[in-house]
Amino acid sequence: MSSERVEIVRRHDDAFVEAELLEGVRPEDLALVERAWGPSRLEIYEALLKAGVPRNRWPESLHWDWTKKAPDLKLLAASGFGIVCEKKWQGLLLAKTAGHQAALSPDRSKPLVYVDYIETAPWNWRIDAIGQAGEWRAVGSLLFRKAVLLSLDEGFRGRLGLHALPQAERYYTDACGMTAVGRDGAKQNLMYFEYTAEQAKRFLDGKGGNA
Amino acid sequence: MSNHEYSTQPDRDWTRRMADAEDRCTGVLAGGLASDVGLLRSGDQMSPRVFGQLIEFARRSRGLTPEQLASNADIELSELVAIERDEDFVPTPRSVFNLARELRLAAGKLMELSGLAERRDQTLSQAALRFAARSEPSAKLTKAEREAFEEFVKVLVEASDGG
Repeated sequence: MSSERVEIVRRHDDAFVEAELLEGVRPEDLALVERAWGPSRLEIYEALLKAGVPRNRWPESLHWDWTKKAPDLKLLAASGFGIVCEKKWQGLLLAKTAGHQAALSPDRSKPLVYVDYIETAPWNWRIDAIGQAGEWRAVGSLLFRKAVLLSLDEGFRGRLGLHALPQAERYYTDACGMTAVGRDGAKQNLMYFEYTAEQAKRFLDGKGGNA
Repeated sequence: MSNHEYSTQPDRDWTRRMADAEDRCTGVLAGGLASDVGLLRSGDQMSPRVFGQLIEFARRSRGLTPEQLASNADIELSELVAIERDEDFVPTPRSVFNLARELRLAAGKLMELSGLAERRDQTLSQAALRFAARSEPSAKLTKAEREAFEEFVKVLVEASDGG
């Protein structure tokens, strides 16, 4: 597993704090992640129930179990990235570099990086309904940036696709400037988003969306 | 060797701008939907009675008293007793998770049995039915169960006499 230095933002004092972005996450790492994240998910679940928050406002990844994603990591074309800060996994991303093609012109049908899953640690979620502010910021964006860089490394010029959960749709359009290609009936009717090479470059240059 | 000029660590302006954007946009999730995979309670759930029985049997098979299991699993004794005895009691997810860990049972399946998660596993449903059929009224009391029962009855009688 290789490691690069990144900085994430601590919410309570808005300070930049050094973290490690790890490449080459292994199936056994997912077990460690879930051991740490599972109880936190359940605490949130309990708080949501107690507060009577309607289910359509619950975090949409509350049910996730990263250990079940371990088989995906064993594929040759799969890459796993994680951010660790203060000895805790703060976020994870799994991506594939084969098996997916671009839907958008001008590179239609050319290969792209497909983001299978991206999630930040439950304690980083901002859930206003239960008064949870989230401890660390920018974790998801740095992981997503790493997936775009993977696309460049693979010679895909930044082309990237993913199916966003409904609560994250705005992030990918407004903050990242991706194109919402359309709802995918084969994938739980989630919205499929894609980056062209040009859009990916704008994102990396900090001009990606309306953010 | 990288074939581009971009770094994994962007400048701080980029990081802060994206952090602010995350806050405004709820999240960054891509993957699968909760409603389809489900840690969600539904009307189609198994009897909590079966869940309580299972916990009780698992505890007893390990030779643990309720006090020991509650302590090991870091849950309130009153909640454990309610889980085992009160079929209307809805346990907290944390308690189910802790019990699963302590009793070495699958947390996801226990969540289904407890009624906290949507029923997905038909094999589990059938096993629960078999378990319920074999463990309920026809089972004879063990010596310890009979002693506890008689002690309880004695207290009930005394209370009745006193009132």
